[in-house]
Amino acid sequence: MMGRTIFIDPGRCIGCQACVSACRECDSHRGKSMIHLDYPDEGHSVASLPTVCMHCEDPVAPCAEVCPADAILVTADGVVQQADTTRCIGCANCVNACPFGVPKIDLQAKLQMKCNLCYDRTAYGLAPMCATVCPTGALFYGTVEELRAERPGVQVADSFTFGDVVVSTGVAMVVPADKVQWPVPGGLPIVEVNGKRVGP
Amino acid sequence: MPAVAPAPAPRSVAMRATLAGTAVSVLLVLAIVFGSRLLRDFDSALLPYAVATVFLAFGVAYRYTVWISSPGARRLFRQGWRSLFSAANFRKAPTALPKMIATYLGFQKFLGARSHARWGAHQLIFWGCILAAAITFPLTWGWFTFTSASGSGPGYEMRIWGFKVLGFDSLSVVGWLMFHGLDIAAVLVIPGASYFLWRRMKDRGAITGQRFAYDLVPLIALIVISVTGLLLTFSSIFLHGGGYQFLSVLHMVSVVFTLIYIPFGKFFHIVQRPAVVGMQLFKYTARQDEQVFPCKRCGQPIDTAPYVENLRGTMRDLKLDFDAWAQYCPRCKRVLRGTAYLGHVKKGFK
Repeated sequence: MMGRTIFIDPGRCIGCQACVSACRECDSHRGKSMIHLDYPDEGHSVASLPTVCMHCEDPVAPCAEVCPADAILVTADGVVQQADTTRCIGCANCVNACPFGVPKIDLQAKLQMKCNLCYDRTAYGLAPMCATVCPTGALFYGTVEELRAERPGVQVADSFTFGDVVVSTGVAMVVPADKVQWPVPGGLPIVEVNGKRVGP
Repeated sequence: MPAVAPAPAPRSVAMRATLAGTAVSVLLVLAIVFGSRLLRDFDSALLPYAVATVFLAFGVAYRYTVWISSPGARRLFRQGWRSLFSAANFRKAPTALPKMIATYLGFQKFLGARSHARWGAHQLIFWGCILAAAITFPLTWGWFTFTSASGSGPGYEMRIWGFKVLGFDSLSVVGWLMFHGLDIAAVLVIPGASYFLWRRMKDRGAITGQRFAYDLVPLIALIVISVTGLLLTFSSIFLHGGGYQFLSVLHMVSVVFTLIYIPFGKFFHIVQRPAVVGMQLFKYTARQDEQVFPCKRCGQPIDTAPYVENLRGTMRDLKLDFDAWAQYCPRCKRVLRGTAYLGHVKKGFK
């Protein structure tokens, strides 16, 4: 996990879309929102899930690894940047390889775009737009110590399972205390036939 | 889907890249020697430029080989060429390739979708550089010669590899265009590069994460080349050659530096960009056959089936063993993750 990062607590999210609107104001992708707000059980539950780039650390940035044009740069501080506009060929490899479903693509512009942790702000110590405006603290920016100073005893997880693969990330999620040692399920459906795991 | 060999080891990649670079450089030297009729037409005053192009050829071939050795590029490179050389594809869509080359490489319509101003500025730089390269590369290699039977004109002959291709009067419009082609190129490049330089100073999106050597040096180099080139013409017309020697050295240094820089920095996108045509052709031909891959959960098309299979192969090459996840669209991945969190992690989430 990075020093200062985003902590996501879906339990606090009220689906107000303030983060979506604020993201559009970010200078590095002005006019286009890079955050996703999904309703996993729409029609039955008001639960909502904000998704920013998780800035994968191990394996490091699968989106950058699969990029055929070497367009995605990971800066020394662990931030996975959006595609370099001169290099991106708009193939969508990153879009479909990302285990968290983060990158977006403009097929007309042949350009991938994604959350870059508001690098124009975070590089200067300011919080990203989404965390700045979130009214409930579902998106918190800071260190884990700063988070715990505000929310004593809170536990976070920064590893997710996709089948047998564990992905460690720079961005973390808030989890109940009894789930800390347990990588958060990434959602990849596991199919079992006669007690044996087979791929979906 | 045909199998692709596993990724080569880094050491063998470096060896292959060195061999490719050496082979291309040797071929270029031979092309210079024979194209200039055993150096009879070679202008020794242009030797530094010619040497820089040999270094450029080595650098480009080296980096290109390293680039297409990475799993993502290697697989797409092969699929692109396979689509290109498929007779069946050609019969189905004979105009697809020329259209894509014109759209993506010539007129760069995708840049217009990003910003009209950037498209306009890039077109100025692109056509200016194409014009300049078409004139200077053959000249420095001794492939083009301009000779006058009367010694000082005005009748001139343009020869390529010793063969006369054009006779013109240097005082005519054609003559003026022939002798001022590089001035025209400079006039195209300067406003284009200046716009991008201005944008790099003012646009906060462009400034985010920009690096001097990567983002600014190429623009400064283009402007310096163009301005010193125009000053050479200015010197010969208005200063009777005053300062010409100094300006010609300055111009030469800036061009040589830029040529050698091409494989290492932002200019390498010139070499990489044709990959967009290969990628697009690969997807287009599969789409013609209606080989669309639907999301396993929602059924919305993700991309073409061969493309998804190609991506899964790339992920397996890279030991990203969650390639099965590529069968779900990005939204379904997020919703499934949210559902898992809702059901297994924090039930109070409801």
